[in-house]
This record gives sequence, structure tokens and C-alpha cells, in this order.
Amino acid sequence: MKSMVIGGIILIVALMAGTYFVAGDSLNFGEDYINDLTMLAGLAIISITVFVALKYVNQIKNDTASGDLAEENWDGIGEFKNPIPTGWGLAFIGVIVWGMWYMTVGYPTNGFSQIGQWNEETLEYNAKFESKWQNPDADTLTAMGESIFLVQCAPCHGVDAQGIGGKAQDLTQRLLKESVVYAIKNGASNFKTQYPAGMPPMMLTDEKEIDEVATYVAGGLKGEQPASFAVCAGCHGADGNGMEYVAPSLKTYTDSVITAVLDDGKKANIGTMPSFKGRLNETQYKALATYIRGLGE
Amino acid sequence: MFHWLEQRPFFFAVFVFVFVAFAGIIEIIPDFAKQSRPVVGTKPYSVLELTGRHVYIQDSCNACHSQLIRPFKSETDRYGMYSLSGEYAYDRPFLWGSKRTGPDLMRVGNYRTTDWHENHMLDPQSVVPGSIMPAYKHMFTNIADIETAYAEAYTVKTVFATPYDQDIDGDGEIDVPLGTLEEAKASALKEAQAIAADMKNQAVKDAVANGQVPEIVALIAYLNSLK
Repeated sequence: MKSMVIGGIILIVALMAGTYFVAGDSLNFGEDYINDLTMLAGLAIISITVFVALKYVNQIKNDTASGDLAEENWDGIGEFKNPIPTGWGLAFIGVIVWGMWYMTVGYPTNGFSQIGQWNEETLEYNAKFESKWQNPDADTLTAMGESIFLVQCAPCHGVDAQGIGGKAQDLTQRLLKESVVYAIKNGASNFKTQYPAGMPPMMLTDEKEIDEVATYVAGGLKGEQPASFAVCAGCHGADGNGMEYVAPSLKTYTDSVITAVLDDGKKANIGTMPSFKGRLNETQYKALATYIRGLGE
Repeated sequence: MFHWLEQRPFFFAVFVFVFVAFAGIIEIIPDFAKQSRPVVGTKPYSVLELTGRHVYIQDSCNACHSQLIRPFKSETDRYGMYSLSGEYAYDRPFLWGSKRTGPDLMRVGNYRTTDWHENHMLDPQSVVPGSIMPAYKHMFTNIADIETAYAEAYTVKTVFATPYDQDIDGDGEIDVPLGTLEEAKASALKEAQAIAADMKNQAVKDAVANGQVPEIVALIAYLNSLK
């Protein structure tokens, strides 16, 4: 027995020394009381474990069976009728009763609802969101927009927003040449919520004029304006800045263009974009618009 | 303490039965609850969608993708509205999945489109940088098995009274037609044509034009139906 106790103490010291060897660098005794407490708890756990183990090893070595044998036996093999500890038996029955109560009266039929918890969590979050971001400045909006973009938009538009090699719209510029050509030939009805009228197809028919206008618009409306742009200017304005409820800006991603695309989704020459209605709130729309506007600069 | 019970096999058996039956009742009762009935608007899968579902199971998509959005804000923000048990009414079997190596796909139809899936299945890393998902190029050439899907639809219609060929929402029109095998094949092909029109892969377009449905078209039909 004595040698076992000595062995146990050696084991405790060895385990503590091992812990110190592995994690000693991060321990600053006296400076961080959480670390001190953790080491102390470790010492306690190891000591208790070793001594409890020793107690039972000792018991296995030295104990002999005791108690009354039950009357019945099976082919000479008997059974002790030592009673189980009363506390244990009561706890066992108690757990059965509690289990029945819990399943029928307690959870889940009464009192607790996962959906209710979700509702509370969401309402609380929305209230917090609104009060925290009541008047966000441009930098806040850009930062918020970037994080939304990375989660919601990057899977199609790419982390750099350039549309992953033509798989989605290149958001670093307002319009690609192909998109302008497509819109002129097929019309556009993508922005129904913001610009209800839409754009009729075949506003220009002459291939040369279409090419001129497309080059001019895709180039950011810089340089000499082609004469045929007059057709576009009727709705989009001579400067291409668009008109409220009539036509979107051809120069920049305005809030209303972003809102329209997010609400309605979009189907044009590149592919289909799903609607994001209900997935983002107004502040987040604004943040995305601010971020996307900042991309081309 | 329980020695008296152990000596009485009959009563012991009765007690065991009562406890096991109690556990069974607790498990079974929720299946009859109102919440487990089909949610309003839930419709059975069309034959093409069911074909895609078979492709989904065959290629073990459910080993990495779950279809169960839990009611936590972090999940509903990312994947959409939390799942309701009634939404799985026509899923045989349900594809909740056991882990999420990839994202949840319960409502992927709301935020991914045909062309995105096409790019993604051909080369996942081209649309999701750093993705560990393998490419599924064979889906573009393998032809989907519409007949087996029809057999399943016909079976669940006959055995489980799944409402094919019925007016579910009460607008006077049949919502999910099934009909005969020929009719089902024709309507599946029609759906497939609409999807192939949004795709770029010429081999897929040619196959659909020839009256065949590649697996990718069926799978996209299924994924687009997950809403």
C-alpha cells in the first residue's frame, strides 16, 4: 500500500511537471489569477483522481464478497441480495417521475418555444441594429457594405467584385459594353419597383449607332457624345444621370438602382440574379450601394 | 430494493412495456400534430425535380450539405427562414443531412440560379474561391433516369396518397401533374428545355434538344425548387 501511495504522488508530480513543461510559457503566476486557479484546479483533479483510483485498486486487491445470498439460485449460481443504496434507488425513481413530467408537462409542450426564442432574439437584434446604426457615416456604411458584400454577393460577383471572369456583373464599372448592346436590342425590365415603365426594345436599330452608344456608355460617358445618344437622353438625361421613376443612372450605381436590383433580381445578358427581398434591411441596402459606388473609384 | 420485482417476471414485463410504450408515444405523437401536416404551399416534386433529387442522393450531396435551417438568427440570416416540419411532408426520405461540410441547401433556390449552378458544378473554385467541393463534370454527360423518378412519384401517389394530379391550393388547376409515363416524360422534357435555355454548355443544350435530359439539368431543377 505504501509503495502505491508513493507511486501515486510521483505520478501527480510528474503530471503537474508535464503540464508546466507544455504550457509553462503561457503561465504568469501572480499576474493572471485565472491561470493560477486553473493550475490549482488541475492539481486538485489529478490528486483526487489518483487517490480515488488507489482506493479502488486497494479494494479490488483486498475485499471479499459479503452479504446474504438470495434463496433462489440458477444451477448453483447464487445472487447476493444486498440492497441498493436507498438514496440511489430514490434518485432512480425520481428521475423516472421527473422524465414523465418533463416530457408531458414541462418541455416541450409547455413554457418553452424555440420559435418564440428566435422571435425574441430577432426582435432584440433588430432593435439594437436600428438604434446603433441610426445615422451611419459614409465610412461605417462602406465597412458594413463590404462585409455584406463578402457574404451575400461575393459567391457570384467575386471577392474583387469583378464578376469572376464574366459570370456575373462587373461591379467596378456601371455597365459593360455587351450589357448596353443587350439592353438596347432587348429592352430592359429589370428595375420594375423603382422604374416601373421599363425600357422598350430596339430604341436604336443601326448596328453602328448601337456600337457607338455602347462604347460611349461603357466608357463612363466620357469624351464626345455620339449624336444617337439623344435617343437615350430622352429618359436617362443628357448627362446620363437618369431620372427618378423614369430611368436609372448610366453613370453610377445609385441607391435606387441597387434597391431595384436587390428587390427584383435581374435577368440580362450575363445570367439571372435572384431577388434579395427580405434578406437585407434598408440600412444594409444603403451600405451595399455605398460600398459598390466606392468600388469603381 | 427491486428484488420483489425481479421475482415476478409477469409484472416486470408489464412495467417494462409501460415504460417503453411511454417513450414510443412521446416519439410518435408529434407526427400527428398539426405542425407536421404539409405547410400551405408545399407541393410534391415534379418528375424532373424528383429525378434531380435522385441525382442529389446518388452523388451523396447530403453527406456534406444539410437541408435543415435551425431557428437561430445566425442561421436564418445566412440561409433564410428556419425550416418547418411540414415542409418535409413530401420528402421521402428527408435529406436533413448529418453534417455541414458545405452550406445548408434548404432554400438554395432563393439565392442561386441556373447559371450559377452550372458554373459551380463544372468548376466549384471558379465561383467560390477556396471551395473544397469537388467538380461534378460527369453530370453534364450522364443522362438522368426519368423512368425511375416516375416510378417513385407513381408509387407515393398510389401508396401514400401524395397529391399528384390534384388541385392542392384550390385555384381550380392541377398543381403537379403526373399522368402516364409518356405524359410525365413530355412535361419533364419541357421543364428541362426551360432550364437548358438558361445554360451555356452546348453539349447539354444539344442533349435536351434531342429529347434527353442530362443529370445536371435535373439536379438544377431540383435545386431551384428548394425554396
